[in-house]
Amino acid sequence: MKTLLWLVALLAWLIPSAYAAETGYTLKATEVKDKPFLDANTLTTLPEKTTVEILTRQGAWMQIKTADVKQGWIRMLSVRLGSPDQKPQGGGSLLSSLAISSRPRPASTSTVTTGVRGFSEEDLANAKPNAAEVEKMKGYAATPEEATRLAESGKLEVKPVAYFDENGKPLKEKK
Amino acid sequence: MSALRLAAALSIAAIVLAGCKSGGGFDLKNMDLGNVVKSVGNLREVKEPEEIQIGQSMTETLLGARPLFDDAELQHYVNEVGLWVAQQSDRPNLPWHFGVNDSDHINAFATPGGFIIITKGMMKQLRNEAELAGVLGHEVAHVNQKHHLKALRKSAFASLLGEGVAGAGGKQAELVKNLAGPTKELYARGLDKSDEYEADRMGVVFAARAGYDPYGLPAVLTTLASADPKDNYLTLLYKTHPLPQARLDKLAPGLTALDAIKAPQNASRFQQYTKSLRVATK
Repeated sequence: MKTLLWLVALLAWLIPSAYAAETGYTLKATEVKDKPFLDANTLTTLPEKTTVEILTRQGAWMQIKTADVKQGWIRMLSVRLGSPDQKPQGGGSLLSSLAISSRPRPASTSTVTTGVRGFSEEDLANAKPNAAEVEKMKGYAATPEEATRLAESGKLEVKPVAYFDENGKPLKEKK
Repeated sequence: MSALRLAAALSIAAIVLAGCKSGGGFDLKNMDLGNVVKSVGNLREVKEPEEIQIGQSMTETLLGARPLFDDAELQHYVNEVGLWVAQQSDRPNLPWHFGVNDSDHINAFATPGGFIIITKGMMKQLRNEAELAGVLGHEVAHVNQKHHLKALRKSAFASLLGEGVAGAGGKQAELVKNLAGPTKELYARGLDKSDEYEADRMGVVFAARAGYDPYGLPAVLTTLASADPKDNYLTLLYKTHPLPQARLDKLAPGLTALDAIKAPQNASRFQQYTKSLRVATK
């Protein structure tokens, strides 16, 4: 049992938290809750453009910490990744604004044009149909049984969720 | 066969046009050639086997622009996730196929009948399986709603769709040749914005039905909203889709209903299967 616990701890350490080392900032004044619910206690309100360190996300909420807040939850839709003074620059290096992330980012094509594996408008225009690749794609297909096994091992439970319209109103029938 | 059918379609168009000119029962002033072509294209509804054949032909062209990424395990994993999500749609029994192409650009595509391609560049932007399910859900929605078929039908290639498909008479090579031009045009131009917004709403629903954290797609859009829209890796995505912030704003009213759902993101499994993306090519 003890070995198992150690193993779990080791695994948890090996697998990086998804948002590890990502930072962001508030798009507008935002309440910080002690739990990821609307009716949870409000710890404080962050002014617009407050830099936050993102710990994790759960549903609509991001768990964050700031210079002043040890730990709390804010709505993801109120957060922009990157830093508030890092405006996207023209001609760009995209992912410069995301470079703080621990996730690997491609270098910008504006400076590196050799060795780019593109799918640009030009690549599309020059495409020669490739039947062999489609056959290869078919070879990777999953069976319904495999999909079900994946769902079971991932603790995915089918839920009844209705379509909704542009106003967010649930739609009774399929569209 | 193809030529015969095309000829038949053209003669119908000619008859309709002639009808306009002679004034026999047609409203002349409101009739234009575009509408005639459109109605010819609509002469027969595209049946599912044809839809799949059209989609496969278009996929040959898309994979011609960039082949699949070489990692069989990853490809199969994406197919399992994709099929699980697609089974929550109104068309669970289509022969769904998913593929990661070897492109650094950030994008994803669907063609009719259930062929879906996600770029390696997009895969690298994702943190967990719930985000993957959100992106694939958006593409599944395009197939569910036959958005690309409708776009083809509205285009100048409508007659091709109505006649060229059956006319190819099961000859895949001919169909691929017929559809290569329209495919390139359609995927460079993109769908109507309203179709993209609808696919966002539906994609979120499919992922939620599949048991995922429903905020996967909004999380991806948040990531993209933080990127520089002028970056070359995003040029085609931004040309063919509304900007991520606009998509988040449009999606927001429907999301609140999903707030109470607590469901897995499956980050560790996703990280495991996508290892090769982080070491491959640099």
